[in-house]
Amino acid sequence: MVLTAVYVCVHVPEFPAQALLRLRPELKGRAVAVIKGDPPLEEVCSVNRLALRLGVAYGMTKTELESFAGVCVLRQAVVEERSARDVVMEAASSFTPRMEVQPARGSALDVVLDMTGTRRIFGEVREVAARIEQTFRTLQFGVRVAASANLHTALCLAPTAAKPIVVPQGHESESLAELPLTALPMGEEQAERLELWGLRTLGELANLPETELVARLGQQGKRLRLLARGEHPHLMVPEEAPFTLAEYIALDSPVEMLDSLLFVLGPMLDQLVARAQNRALALASVTLTLGLDGGGEHVRTLKPSLPVAQRDVLLKLLHLDLQAHPPCAGVMSVSVKAQPGDRSKVQLGLFAPQTPEPMRLDVTLARIAALVGEQRVGRARLCDSHAPESFLVERFSLVDSAVAKPKEEKWSTVALRRCRPPVRVAVRFDGSRLAVFFFAGKRYSVQKAFGPWRRSGDWWSGSVWSVEEWDVCAVADGDTLLCILTHDLLRHHWRMEALYD
Amino acid sequence: MTKSNEYVELHASSAFSFLEGASQPEGLVRAAVETNMPAMALLDRNGFYGAARFHGSAKQNGVRAHIGAEIAVRDMSPRVQPPVWLPHQCKPDPSRLSLLCMSQVGYQNLCQLITRFKMLEKTKGEGAAALDDLREFYDGLLCFTGGEEGPLAAALAAGGEAAGRECVEELVRIFGRHNVYVELQRHGCRAGEQRNQAAVRIASSLRLPIVATNGVRYATKYEREILDVLTAIRNHVPLDAAGRLLQTNSHRYVRNARTMAQLFSDLPEAIENTVLVSQRLQFELHDLGYEFPRYDTPTGEPMDVFLRKRVAEGIENRYGPKHDPGLHARAKLQSERELELIEKLGFEGYFLIVWDIVRFCKDNNILIQGRGSAANSVVCYALEITAIDPVGMDLLFERFLNENRNEWPDVDLDLPSGDKREQAIRYVYQRYGELGAAMTANVITYRGKNAAREVGKALGFDEETLERLSGLIGHWEWRKQGETIGDNFQHAGFDINHWRIAKYVELCERMQDLPRHLGQHSGGMVICQGQLNKVVPLERATMPGRSVVQWDKEDCADLGLVKIDLLGLGMMAVIKDCLTLIPEHYGDPVDLAQLPQDDEKVYDTLCEADTVGMFQVESRAQMASIPRNAPRKFYDLVVQVAIIRPGPIVGKMMHPYMRRRQKKELVTYPLPELESVLERTLGVPLFQEQLLRMAMVVGRFSGAEAEELRKAVGMRRSWKRMKELMVKLRAGMEENNIPAATQDEIVQSIQSFALYGFPESHAASFALIAYASAYFKVKYLAAFTCAMLNNQPMGFYSPAVLVKDAQRHGLRVKPVDVQRSDACCAVEHEQDGSLSLRLGLNYVRGLKAETAAAVVEARAQRGRFCSIEDLACRVPSLNRGDLAQLARIGALNWLDGVGHRRDAIWQIEHVSRTAGPLLKQAAGIELSGDSPLRRMLVEERLVADYGGTGLTTGHHPMAYRRTELRQMGVLSACELRQHPDGTYVQAAGAVIARQRPGTALGFIFLSMEDETGISNVIIHPDLYEQDRRIVTSGKFLKVYGKLQNQDGVVHVKAERLEHLNVPPIALQSHDFH
Repeated sequence: MVLTAVYVCVHVPEFPAQALLRLRPELKGRAVAVIKGDPPLEEVCSVNRLALRLGVAYGMTKTELESFAGVCVLRQAVVEERSARDVVMEAASSFTPRMEVQPARGSALDVVLDMTGTRRIFGEVREVAARIEQTFRTLQFGVRVAASANLHTALCLAPTAAKPIVVPQGHESESLAELPLTALPMGEEQAERLELWGLRTLGELANLPETELVARLGQQGKRLRLLARGEHPHLMVPEEAPFTLAEYIALDSPVEMLDSLLFVLGPMLDQLVARAQNRALALASVTLTLGLDGGGEHVRTLKPSLPVAQRDVLLKLLHLDLQAHPPCAGVMSVSVKAQPGDRSKVQLGLFAPQTPEPMRLDVTLARIAALVGEQRVGRARLCDSHAPESFLVERFSLVDSAVAKPKEEKWSTVALRRCRPPVRVAVRFDGSRLAVFFFAGKRYSVQKAFGPWRRSGDWWSGSVWSVEEWDVCAVADGDTLLCILTHDLLRHHWRMEALYD
Repeated sequence: MTKSNEYVELHASSAFSFLEGASQPEGLVRAAVETNMPAMALLDRNGFYGAARFHGSAKQNGVRAHIGAEIAVRDMSPRVQPPVWLPHQCKPDPSRLSLLCMSQVGYQNLCQLITRFKMLEKTKGEGAAALDDLREFYDGLLCFTGGEEGPLAAALAAGGEAAGRECVEELVRIFGRHNVYVELQRHGCRAGEQRNQAAVRIASSLRLPIVATNGVRYATKYEREILDVLTAIRNHVPLDAAGRLLQTNSHRYVRNARTMAQLFSDLPEAIENTVLVSQRLQFELHDLGYEFPRYDTPTGEPMDVFLRKRVAEGIENRYGPKHDPGLHARAKLQSERELELIEKLGFEGYFLIVWDIVRFCKDNNILIQGRGSAANSVVCYALEITAIDPVGMDLLFERFLNENRNEWPDVDLDLPSGDKREQAIRYVYQRYGELGAAMTANVITYRGKNAAREVGKALGFDEETLERLSGLIGHWEWRKQGETIGDNFQHAGFDINHWRIAKYVELCERMQDLPRHLGQHSGGMVICQGQLNKVVPLERATMPGRSVVQWDKEDCADLGLVKIDLLGLGMMAVIKDCLTLIPEHYGDPVDLAQLPQDDEKVYDTLCEADTVGMFQVESRAQMASIPRNAPRKFYDLVVQVAIIRPGPIVGKMMHPYMRRRQKKELVTYPLPELESVLERTLGVPLFQEQLLRMAMVVGRFSGAEAEELRKAVGMRRSWKRMKELMVKLRAGMEENNIPAATQDEIVQSIQSFALYGFPESHAASFALIAYASAYFKVKYLAAFTCAMLNNQPMGFYSPAVLVKDAQRHGLRVKPVDVQRSDACCAVEHEQDGSLSLRLGLNYVRGLKAETAAAVVEARAQRGRFCSIEDLACRVPSLNRGDLAQLARIGALNWLDGVGHRRDAIWQIEHVSRTAGPLLKQAAGIELSGDSPLRRMLVEERLVADYGGTGLTTGHHPMAYRRTELRQMGVLSACELRQHPDGTYVQAAGAVIARQRPGTALGFIFLSMEDETGISNVIIHPDLYEQDRRIVTSGKFLKVYGKLQNQDGVVHVKAERLEHLNVPPIALQSHDFH
């Protein structure tokens, strides 16, 4: 027996606004506009019906919104939208496991449910549509529902469905006829062309002779005509659960010993590596979440320089990391999540110098990081800026390190030890001359001072800075100190910046 | 020894080092005055762009202006850059030598040097000098080794001290031991100090003097921010990513002597030497050595004899036919007087050169007419430079030329815009050579929109935001008192209290008027005897084959360079076309010089303000005043042209004149002595000449003093000089026993309108063209409209309005038709003998001129097109977009097999999607010829017409709504005229012009058009504030308000505005905002 296909499209208009409003019942009955973008350049991306009625339009700025009395302005929240989407999917999945999220149309979210063969479970299509709408209403989502044997018909009709629409099979074309052309998914050029032809409704498009249309618009013309007639077939690609690499284990009693923990972790990593390898992947990052005795979590993330598929290496890295950052209480549960990555191989040059094996390098670095702290291991990269401290510490990267170093300058240079961080010093003046400063418990009298060397910048941003630097030769108890003192002109403090060897 | 408290800044760059300096030259001079600096040297990058303004400002402020330039040299080490191990984005750039002019020879050499390498560039570009050029043009120049940008710093960075010494030795070899100074700059950076120490050692070993400068790039510390923004703009990076391209600190400002002495306390001679160098720099910019070219007479006669002969001939030709012996005699006398003065001042060459250009134009069938104050001269009239009889009109010669005026006369020549003007310009280049003539420059400055855009880009705003920000900068002529850019931002919905927006707004405001780059003036040409490149550097313009001088026309005038303006005037082109079209289609010979001057019908039309398309009298303000003035003779038209100017309006002269003209007020004179001066303008001063004469009569001013007074209140207002002259004027009036109240009245009238008032001669020249345009429109409407449409853009109204106006006057205008239309609009003969106008293919938007020509060519070769397929086949350059556009506007409707526009669209969609040859040959599927698409509705046709051609030849969009509007009680433009003054009315129409004149205190004037004519709406500033969006962007409006209907002038004083719902017609209004 061939089942009659039934597709139900759930159209959630103004999804960003609805995602925020469903958890804010106090805003019911108020006009709400959602803005996106960074201040001061935010603009409206979604509105509820009341706000639309007041005249709020997409693209308005925050200041423009202020001229509307009583409009509540909310900022778009990606996290809330994500969880709202999960709620929508979950609600839909209570009707069918086969569903497909459609490409975004403006600010709406469209999900199509394949309800083929569910009549015995949920009843007639009309009942199904009503139940779906009811379910979403309970979840505080205002949705529009349309059902048809043709997926695209349901999709086109849903935004106009004030109450659930069910299109009887064979009546798709007539139910679509009155819809405007904008209901169809088409490119700008196609839309322009059809407008030039004076077509306004899907019915008008559907009535064009097929051969003539193909002669003018090619296969795209045929597609549009089929869509307009509700005859375009659709191969449903249901949403699939994403490939996740996660393992979880709850422990009977709190584990405090690291070795015991590693004993548990080993098989978990085995599993993850094996699952990744099944797909010819390795682990690019591993996040360990330890549930602690008495509540709380201890989260650590490892990011090896290359994706790793060796369990021992990962275990060693986790071992070192946990040594450096032990949990503060006994561990009650262990959850390991991993991000898969390509098992990339690095092609080194034939005559390039031997570099350490990446895995060993990772382990070594992890050892050092465990000793000195993570922010202090890596490679310093200078920034293109006059600002003091203008460098970043970046991770060692095996690939980049192969890049040839610039030729060294011929200048003979004096070694300079930077103080990281610079040390605050107290200074005294003799008139306008820098005379004395106190550093490392000693009182230094300044013999010679060269400068000031002046730098300032970032005046256009909040991080404006302005400093003066002095090269100083100072003496304390017979010790001579050659150093750089800086004077922050905006915050009015002096600091020991560096010492000459 | 010099005084310890003296220091001269010898290395300053202004904003004319385009995007490498942040202060105007005047700002630098102001800083010099504030720091008690006796002199300053301006060294802009590769030129003297800011030198004229620097010199002028310095002269006014008692500062000596030294002139020089930073010259890029390509054969030396490139500019110093940050070391390789530091990340940076600095691009390789030649190092720049600092050269100062000691004498006129030095200045001329530097001019030639700059011109040499600038002209080597194929297009407009920076360029760089070669060492050989320096060896050729070294004389008279002082050379500094430069700061961070200089060759010494570059050499030190490239090869250490040895290379540095070698570089300085090279400079010594070129410029001589006594003319090279080792330059030291201290901006508080270690690398700079390291360079300084090396430089001092080199100077000492070579026994060269050292000199301290501050390498100034901005006048005050605060302006460093602007320089950073300019740097970001120059390098096309946002400030956040500019890094080491930006300034390290804010120390390159104008420092005072004390600070510099402190900074160089270890090297006091470096400071002392600045004063000594300043003393060596004897050259100042007023000593240019400029000489206007002499005219080589074809007969070998001296210029004065030749000129006298031409003038004598001209007087006979001009005045002979007038048959007025008295006038003829007066003209002879006046010409004699003028010639004597011309000879005394040595201007014969000038007049002959202008005459030569005019003669060339006349020989080559190029319409040309002089305007401006030249029309005051009977010599110009006799030489056919101008067309106004100054003797007959009793015009004041002193306004043009007088003995004590230390400047060249100014002749502006109007030519038809386009090719004809190009031909005249080419003639001048050819006659005086590439280095003997050049266009004057036009300095492009940062104004509202481009400042908003570029600053926004520097601050890292995205493209969409930039569009929005720059799009909202208003250009209304009038601004509310205290209205700022910030207000504009607020109106557009930006929070100006946010610090980032506030900083943005502030930077935009500070950037206003800073130069961005050098452009080319539309028609100003400078000519020189000998080599112009010795007077001012020349460089390539963007337009191929053109060169420009580095100064704009004001600078040229200030420095005594004579310029001739060859200006393009759209109306001249229209008149030129009319002179061809009229004999061709009407069979009437037309001679511009012999147009009947007192045609009743022409003046009737003018009195009715039926002036759409007529030169100078078509604007809304003109239309509102012309019925009151009711011109009946040529001089009335001269007054009409001059009266709608800010001068007479601000000076409150317009209304008294109009009242007197309408005999509502008695004609009186401030003094009986002024009767002869003001008689022609009914006792109200309206022209600049009258101002001069008043000063001469009441204040006992000489002609020259009176002219000086006009200049003092003129464009570059000098308050100090004006005050002095006012004191003198009052003293003169006192001597003449003029009562104090009358004195005040006279002073007030002079001050208020002299600035913007027209010279009478200029108004008369314009009135001639205005009359010609009115005459042609009234008598030969088809030819005039055709010429107007073919010379767009020009004038006050869009082609759509011109067409509708012509249709209301009975002209049949026919749409574009591929079977008939030419590339341009054309006059056609109807079967009933009448003339009609056919729109040309030039009105099809998006259709390239070559494609239009191909259509016409294909038709000319093989006759009419049989079908759409035939058209597409014979004109392969027509692509699908072109065909669709032609179909959309109905231009294909006359092809066989085409029923209506959509039918054509259906066919072109098939034709333009060609099948390959294989498929074509194969027996394809037979497609039916019928189009399944429906006809366009009226509204769709209107949208298509306006979208595709910018106009419609069918009914006006408002005509389709008339019944409905009538039911709503809305009156048409024609009906408004029949309603009494003071009635409350509703009016509606398409907005065709919006104006907010500077003189109207914030009132806005809208012109609305419907099928019966044009109605005018006045909008109060309060209503504007309330309905800003409707006023500035509404296309079709409904207006409710009180009718003003006085003396045939009709306005609606709007009290409420509404959008009128119409299809989305792409109607364009001429907005002055």
